[in-house]
Amino acid sequence: MNFGSVFKCIATAFISSMVLICCDQTTTPAKLTPENSEIKYATGFTITQRENHSVISITASSSSSKKELTYALAGKDIVVENPEGYHAVIRTPLEKIVVTSTTHIPSLEALGVENSLVGFPNLNYISSKKTRSNISKGNIKELGSNQDINTEVLLELSPDAVVGFTLDGSNKSLKTIEKTGIPVLINADWRETHPLGKAEWIKFFGALYNKTKQADSIFNTIETSYNEAKKLVQNIKSKPTVLSGAMYKDIWYLPKGDSWAARFIEDANGEYLWRDSKGTGSIALNIESVLEKGQNADFWIAPGQFTSRAQLLEFNKVYSAFNAYKKNKMYTFTNKKGATGGVLYYELAPNRPDLVLKDMIHILHPSVLKEYQPYFFEILK
Amino acid sequence: MIRHTKNNRLVILLSGLLVVVACVNISLGSVAIPVQEIFNSIVDTPSKSSWHYIITNYRFPKAITAIIAGSGLAISGLLMQTLFRNPLAGPFVLGLSSGASLGVAILILGAGVISGIFSTFLLNPWSLVIASALGSFLVLLAVLAATLKVKDTMAILIIGLMFGSLTGALVAVLSYFSNAEQLQQYIFWSFGSLGNQTWQGISILSLCFVIGLVLSIFSAKSLNALLLGESYAKSMGLKIKKNMLVIIIATSILAGGITAFVGPIAFIGLAVPHLTRQFVKTSNHFVLIPAVALSGAILMLVCDTIAQLPGTVYTLPINAITSVVGAPVVIWLLVRKRKLIF
Amino acid sequence: MAGMAKHSIIRCQDLSIGYQNKKKVAVIASGIDFSITQGTLVSLVGSNGIGKSTLLKSLTAMLPTLSGSLQVDGIEIIDYSPLALATKLSVVLTQTPASKSLTVLELVSLGRQPHTNWMGSLSQNDKEIIYQALEDTDLADLKNKNCFELSDGQLQRVYIARALAQDTPLIVLDEPTTHLDLYHRASIVTLLKRLTQEKNKTILFSTHEIDLAIDISDKMLVMTPQKIIFDSPQNLIEQGTFNLLFPNDLVVFDKKTGRFSVT
Repeated sequence: MNFGSVFKCIATAFISSMVLICCDQTTTPAKLTPENSEIKYATGFTITQRENHSVISITASSSSSKKELTYALAGKDIVVENPEGYHAVIRTPLEKIVVTSTTHIPSLEALGVENSLVGFPNLNYISSKKTRSNISKGNIKELGSNQDINTEVLLELSPDAVVGFTLDGSNKSLKTIEKTGIPVLINADWRETHPLGKAEWIKFFGALYNKTKQADSIFNTIETSYNEAKKLVQNIKSKPTVLSGAMYKDIWYLPKGDSWAARFIEDANGEYLWRDSKGTGSIALNIESVLEKGQNADFWIAPGQFTSRAQLLEFNKVYSAFNAYKKNKMYTFTNKKGATGGVLYYELAPNRPDLVLKDMIHILHPSVLKEYQPYFFEILK
Repeated sequence: MIRHTKNNRLVILLSGLLVVVACVNISLGSVAIPVQEIFNSIVDTPSKSSWHYIITNYRFPKAITAIIAGSGLAISGLLMQTLFRNPLAGPFVLGLSSGASLGVAILILGAGVISGIFSTFLLNPWSLVIASALGSFLVLLAVLAATLKVKDTMAILIIGLMFGSLTGALVAVLSYFSNAEQLQQYIFWSFGSLGNQTWQGISILSLCFVIGLVLSIFSAKSLNALLLGESYAKSMGLKIKKNMLVIIIATSILAGGITAFVGPIAFIGLAVPHLTRQFVKTSNHFVLIPAVALSGAILMLVCDTIAQLPGTVYTLPINAITSVVGAPVVIWLLVRKRKLIF
Repeated sequence: MAGMAKHSIIRCQDLSIGYQNKKKVAVIASGIDFSITQGTLVSLVGSNGIGKSTLLKSLTAMLPTLSGSLQVDGIEIIDYSPLALATKLSVVLTQTPASKSLTVLELVSLGRQPHTNWMGSLSQNDKEIIYQALEDTDLADLKNKNCFELSDGQLQRVYIARALAQDTPLIVLDEPTTHLDLYHRASIVTLLKRLTQEKNKTILFSTHEIDLAIDISDKMLVMTPQKIIFDSPQNLIEQGTFNLLFPNDLVVFDKKTGRFSVT
């Protein structure tokens, strides 16, 4: 027996088993021709009406790639034809739901169905008073952490559906849940870059509760409010320059030009100094390039996780070199928290872009919206 | 070697203990389920459907995974300790877990870089398993290639260590450029996780275990000979290279396969052979292999039961528990006996 | 003199031994010619570093020979599979045992490996041979003791018992008497002598105790810097071979007493 032939045997066995595993075919989803799709800004999902049920199609993702998932939403007694063509069949309206991101909570509350929430991972993140009161009453069970959702407690809860937000992470426990017949939906609102696109996902929840009309009307109000605010500053000639982010260790993270956060600055008629950076995530820069470009920025929005000017200086004296620091034009959302430390901005801002825009307008153009009280941002003291 | 009936009785005793510990493991968890329910679930008349789900879809597969992982890692640890005649050897001395870590790190942390090329591959639910197995396999090949010229087994151990440092450094670089979410995901993988295996996964895992076990049993005679060293073993007719290869293959399939599915679980492979030797008074591998396998399964089940923090919603990572529970036990045993029986 | 020619168990013809790797060849000794017959006690002597270990390793197939013929029991050593050779030749080495947790019985039983099946199961015959080996080495009382509890002398006997259990016509020992006191040295060599006489085994052992070797060996292999000489101790003394062993006149061999002395 020589090493070479043994190696060939192992390699062949290995590669063939890999090929077999990769070809683990899931049934191909039914093809949809989008009709009656009234989604204007969100790119991550579409809702289609069939005869006796509706279909949600979501472009879900893992950290590196995308997948198309379709769900059939039908009433209890409706028979859905070709159920294997869908990732899951969901019986509406939902009575018990488990969600996994704080951004899902405001949608539930706006639709008046927050009492259907029975479980959530990391309860402490939730800031909304209404839901916190449900938590104190013991109506919402702690599920552990998002990376490692407690399978047993989730099975015990037996919700009608679980709403995850990514195909990674909690994947394993959710797969076990799916096997027992509990449908898992992926809500991909976090991938939207248009401020109204994120908010439009309330329609996703609306469909799950048979409250489509209500969801539409809530969204329309937000949309109108947003566009009206945008008009107010559209024609202002002087654009203040804006800096964002802060250093973690020695890398400065800022939102990229096409990202959700940067859009607000643009729609509020500010000049985000890194507007030209392509992409929707964050850029990592060193202090020198940030100093060079942003030292004289008029405003500094969202300086990372810092909650006070003193804290900024403790970490790095260089922050005091920025004009916005000297002139006291730094604005943060990190100080508005719920009773257990959850940051309000992370929870509510995606659902209420109109409030974020108004905050931004109030900061960048103080003469407009004089009476307005900022909802999320406050000056960094 | 002459076998003693005392040792046979011991193996039977261990088997009985395994059954008991498995039952305890299945009856304890975050949700309090009365012991009665377990029997109901087997007979298929559960009183509460969610309890039935929990037992059949979560606890039962988890117990099986624990048994396979515990036995497999313990056996591969024993193989490595005898092959290298070193009490500090474990199943990962040849770089299996560092290779797995590197493979998974590239998948999770380097995602942005590779996404373009392998996007459909990456989305596969098996991607973690494949990345881990592939990583183990490649690093193992690298270690073996580097040791082809080396005669001294101690040098092989050092080469394995060096590859471990190398892969660790690469993972560190990847970590530096990753965001918090990716890092958290990677760290959670490195904690090890026995639960939520699919039945398909468990069947592949069982296959790896059976192959590894069979290879180990067939190598037991040569392992006994190797107790005296390679020169004596050769003088007794052993084909050293061929047998070393079989032993290394058995270890790779066991440890590499297990790590691919449950992540890197430390300590079991290293400590269980020592623990077993304390009460099994023979060096005959025909007795040691089953004894070590049973002990490994029992220890893993015990650690898993503790890790589940029964009654609470939180679970501790299995990796932490195996070391926290196991290390003091080994220390206590050695201090009590005042010498290492190896 | 017996009419039947005695069987040659080791036969070297123009043998050359040494180390070889890719380009370099280091010849330790060449032109080696000797033939050892069955039932002989042969000792191998020579100064330090002369190549005794190399010769033993070559004879036991642990080191490949460079050229020439080396036959064990009539077959070239390279034509042997390890298992076949194991039924002809067993060894006792100088290295410390890798695993001391074995009991005496377990260690000696390992000697039966070339004869047992894949499971190493011991038949009644195997067990008898093992017990006989323990008897021959006077270890019967110690059979259940762990090896780490034994003295050096006892441990040495255990290894010899293991070789006996392997039941080969030829046993090769590498310095079996080093590190032992005079009494144990004597008991070991007496045992070896007995094995050749009573069991017709051929025993080849290397040693520094030249005096002892001269006293008990049937034949001796003397390694000098020039060549290897194989003859009976008497002939070697007469030919003054032992004076060729050491480089200068610091030690001389006295023919009359048959001993070395320091000048």
